[in-house]
Amino acid sequence: MMQSLEVISVNLWQILISLLNLLILFLLFKKFLFGPVNNMLAKRQGEIDARYEAADQAKRAAEEDKLLWDEKIGTVKAQTDEMMKKAQDSARRQSETIVSKAKEQADGIIRQAETQAQLEMKKAEEGIKQEIVEVSTALANKLLAREINADDHRELIDSFIEKIGDGE
Amino acid sequence: MKQMTHRFKMVDIIYILMMIVPVCFGIVLKVLTTPASDGISISGARIYMTLPMPIQNLPITESQVNSAIVIVAVFFLCLYLTHGIKDGIWLKRHHFAEMIVEKCTGLVTNSMGEYFRAFAPFITAMLALSGFSSLITLFGLYAPTSDINIVAGWAILVFILITYYKMKCGPLEYVKSFGNPALMAPLNIISEIATPISMAFRHYGNVLSGSVIAVLVAAGLQGLSNMVFGALPGFFGKFPFLQVGLPAILSIYFDIFSGCLQAYIFAMLTMLYISGGFPLELYEARKKKRAQLCKN
Repeated sequence: MMQSLEVISVNLWQILISLLNLLILFLLFKKFLFGPVNNMLAKRQGEIDARYEAADQAKRAAEEDKLLWDEKIGTVKAQTDEMMKKAQDSARRQSETIVSKAKEQADGIIRQAETQAQLEMKKAEEGIKQEIVEVSTALANKLLAREINADDHRELIDSFIEKIGDGE
Repeated sequence: MKQMTHRFKMVDIIYILMMIVPVCFGIVLKVLTTPASDGISISGARIYMTLPMPIQNLPITESQVNSAIVIVAVFFLCLYLTHGIKDGIWLKRHHFAEMIVEKCTGLVTNSMGEYFRAFAPFITAMLALSGFSSLITLFGLYAPTSDINIVAGWAILVFILITYYKMKCGPLEYVKSFGNPALMAPLNIISEIATPISMAFRHYGNVLSGSVIAVLVAAGLQGLSNMVFGALPGFFGKFPFLQVGLPAILSIYFDIFSGCLQAYIFAMLTMLYISGGFPLELYEARKKKRAQLCKN
């Protein structure tokens, strides 16, 4: 028959063993649970830090690039604006010269036409006068064949016809 | 995801076996040494053998053996959980191990302060040892925590730690801390000594009272069952029907809930006493002063 301890019985050696048991389990936990897990966590933290560092670097580089590009795009815009303005100016100038030339030409043509018309009118007037003089002299010759000398009355008739022409 | 090699699986199986085998050993030992006609009795741990030692003989009892069983099983549980964790987390148990470590570290740093971060494994070991020692009753084994010697050992270790941290600022400061109001010095000394005793008895008493109540209830129910169904013929008259059910519900409270709660309380009190007794500001001021003196 095996013996049992009393419900409360104090034994120094048992207390000491139990104390050492707790210490041993503490060391075991430290070495075999917290050690590996913390190592792994530190490793993972290191990896995460490295990744963040890389991402930060990439971001910084991208921002620098962006600045550079913004600058470049700004200059390009200015250049294009200048070019556009130049082109517009030259186009305006060209169009003005073309229009003025055309105007000049048109004016010349109109003036020529006017002078020609006047000349022709004069010619026609002259012609008509001549004919009228001839017709009237012929008429007068026929009417006053004997009495009126054509040369004597030429002046008179002319002035008469002049009056007729003017009176029209 | 990495592939588990055969070797890895073999090691896993060995770990799991090493968790189960000690418990089986304990059960077998218990069954072999328990007398057949064991009525209901309230006694301490069974003594397997007695070693002659100076001052007092050392009896190797159930509580000693069961403590060793718990330590071995928990050790292999640790090995199992952290097996292969060096290559990064890739198994569920690695997450579990990480969770345990982070929760315990968080608990310790929250209640003790960042200075005591290194206490995390100690507190975890305390929680595990105390908790599993109480939970081992689920296998029908004797709970080591219902032996005063076991819990007293832990409480004395805690007392040593408390005193060590109080002494860190020098013995003079330690002595001064008792005579804060000079009249209260004797009471302060008594409360200092009472700390480990109360811790040990609180834990031990709770677990033991649980098993005592369980035994009493079982005995009472047997008696009641005999009274009520005793008149029935044959098997039905002898079978203790009333013992079915109620003891199981009591066991949920006394074995599982109370065991875990006492482990938690013991760990919390340890943390509070150690960090509460340590004058961190004074210690850091002294450290700074000393560093300056060294420079000069």
